[in-house]
Amino acid sequence: MLILKPKFDFEISVEAEITPALALATDEEISNYQVYYGKDKAKLSDLFEISREGDDAKLLLDGDFSKVKWIGARMDEGEIVVKGDIGDHCGAYMTGGKIVVEGNALDWIGAEMKGGEIEVNGNVRNYVGCAYWGNMTGMTGGKITVKGNAGNYIGEKMGGGEIEIMGDTGDFVGTEMKDGTIVIHGNCGFVGGDMKGGTIKIKGNFELVPGFRKVEDGFEGDVNAGGKGKVLQL
Amino acid sequence: MMLHIKNGIVIDPKNGIDAEKMDIFVKNGKIVEESEVKGDVKVIDASNKLVVAGGFDMHAHIAGSKINVGREMRPEEMRTVRLVAGKFRASIGRVLLTSPAIGYEYAKMGYTSAFEAAQPPVGALHTHEELDAIPMIDKAALPVFGNWHFVLKYVAEKNWEKLRTFIAWAIERTKGFGVKVVNPGGVEAWMYGGNCKSLDDEVPGFGVTPREIITALIQETENLNLSHSVHLHCNNLGTPGNYETTIESMKLASKFSNDRRQVLHVTHVQFNAYSGSSWRDVGSGAAEIAKYVNSVDNITIDMGQPIFGHATAMTGDAPFQFTLHKLTGARWSNKDSEIEGGAGIVPIGYLPKNPIHALQWAIGLELGLLVDSDKVVLSTDYPNGGPFTEYPYIMAMLMSRKMREKELERVSPYVQKATGLAAIDREKTLFEVIQMTRSLPARVMGLDSKGHLGFGADADIAIYNFDPLTVDVTNDFETVYKVFKTSAYTIKGGEIIAMNGELVKEVWGRTFWVDATSKVEMEAIESDLDEMFSKYYSLERQNYGVEESWIKKPERLVMG
Repeated sequence: MLILKPKFDFEISVEAEITPALALATDEEISNYQVYYGKDKAKLSDLFEISREGDDAKLLLDGDFSKVKWIGARMDEGEIVVKGDIGDHCGAYMTGGKIVVEGNALDWIGAEMKGGEIEVNGNVRNYVGCAYWGNMTGMTGGKITVKGNAGNYIGEKMGGGEIEIMGDTGDFVGTEMKDGTIVIHGNCGFVGGDMKGGTIKIKGNFELVPGFRKVEDGFEGDVNAGGKGKVLQL
Repeated sequence: MMLHIKNGIVIDPKNGIDAEKMDIFVKNGKIVEESEVKGDVKVIDASNKLVVAGGFDMHAHIAGSKINVGREMRPEEMRTVRLVAGKFRASIGRVLLTSPAIGYEYAKMGYTSAFEAAQPPVGALHTHEELDAIPMIDKAALPVFGNWHFVLKYVAEKNWEKLRTFIAWAIERTKGFGVKVVNPGGVEAWMYGGNCKSLDDEVPGFGVTPREIITALIQETENLNLSHSVHLHCNNLGTPGNYETTIESMKLASKFSNDRRQVLHVTHVQFNAYSGSSWRDVGSGAAEIAKYVNSVDNITIDMGQPIFGHATAMTGDAPFQFTLHKLTGARWSNKDSEIEGGAGIVPIGYLPKNPIHALQWAIGLELGLLVDSDKVVLSTDYPNGGPFTEYPYIMAMLMSRKMREKELERVSPYVQKATGLAAIDREKTLFEVIQMTRSLPARVMGLDSKGHLGFGADADIAIYNFDPLTVDVTNDFETVYKVFKTSAYTIKGGEIIAMNGELVKEVWGRTFWVDATSKVEMEAIESDLDEMFSKYYSLERQNYGVEESWIKKPERLVMG
């Protein structure tokens, strides 16, 4: 297990595409691993205290990582545990493995992920499992679980997999969703705009966009997009 | 700086030089005789290397409101980093490139000129601002005329003097280069939700037809004897069966001639060369078009070759763009340029296994192969057909039947029955391909100083790492493709700007514009201009247009 601790409070963003595979590298490779501090290139060891415990493919991020972006992006196996908060794009494009965030997460968590698992104990911000702007498909596989609340745009253009939010969420849940499942245990805002397929289950209150019609077990739409998506009461 | 390019194998179609070992001398940005070059001369050893004029892209969308809207609506195109800021500017883009990236990528490929093919006149200032942000290459822009209310009005009135005067006024105001016509009448009809699909569809509100508009614009462009001819994007683009409209449009030029150049350039013909009656039985009309173009000497065309992969359709043909959006379901942006026309933008991807896309790909190649090499220019109608960085692919394909056979295996079998591509044995020679990318586009645009290596020509030179005397272009197509992707040297105005695919120096090319105002009396349209501006434009007449001093390096061509 590789353990990283921030050496100081980051004033600006750090971009660090680190995956659990890094734990298998040599000490020198890890220390010299290239990251960005703002626009400047930096070595991992410039910004973080690095230590090891055992040699399994696991990362432990200990401290405030809310300014650190792209953690776990494109990871395919192994595990990342974040003891504090995590920054944007955590687990983007990931295909396998597991990320556990004990604090909060910011935007774009699990964006366009294809597989694996993400668990956030705190709150998340916007664009959970979404497609990046302009791209056609968001998350297509795997699972994102959020114990707290989420912001706006959950599962936009989602093409598969599952997102579960235990708390409340904001507006635009499952916009242009094509497949997969979103489960919301709290309340949420507008749901299902231009939805083409997939299922959204909500326990609390929600607002449906006008393009849905009542069917036996809930609502189906968005008829404006010729969609057959389902919005159901949990 | 003076240059001596030594022992290169020169191909220079305009001057009839086909793979001869020669030395080229450069002084003050021009190609000169050996005797003029003395003293501090930089010698470039071009032994066993191909030396040709810099490439000339005469039809690309590189600046103006359309490409910018394309960039705005396609953030996914903007995630490819090509160059990190340093000695040169940061440049990004997948197919849609940022302005510096456009200049840099052309330069790396050995291209030294590119002309913006559709400038909305009211957006002229924006277009020139953007052209001024493109380094490395020489530039110009063609304002669009085919749906401009002034044009429609004067054609309806058959007032040729006013039409001629207006053309001269408009080109001067927009600092444009020539007369571009996009779906004449059709974009005006689109303002009412319609289109002009045939040459005889009446334009709502004006009582004129595309036939009359095209004929009148050719007539007055020839009367002004502009550098470039009318540059036509035909009616009925992107519709099965439209090849007939294309040939009919070409026939409108039959009563005009010009000793110097064509009188009508029909652009991205691939999109206008479909036979059949629907997308179910669509086929190729390329052979018929080629037959017509080859039989006359007053028409030139460019290919509009699609490249498999990402592209963005952006044309001044607003109704076509809407049709495309309905056909593919992709994002759509519609642009209105006041009383001048409109435009539309739709993202597109060409897939080899998609029968329609494969058909388009095959038709482009058919046109490139079947039309005489002094009448067809190589183009992708960037970014409509794909990236200009894939021109080497088209060059290699035209020269190698073997490569075409290999490529045919990976595309939809629909092309086998719907086009004649597989049966075409013809292989263009390297000489012909150089002609299609250098001397011909320069001639089409009427620029004597471009596209060749004769004395007095601009010292825009590309040197490629292969010896045409030993490389077998038909069998060694992979080498040909690779070699043309990056030049060994790109020389622009006598300065080395790129070497082996690496940028060496940033230079700023000129912006050509055509001044024909001395050939007309502006008095003829003064009151019309005042009236139309006060009634219909959102801006005052005195605020309209671009002053020469606002352009970084303007080059005024006075039409005498």
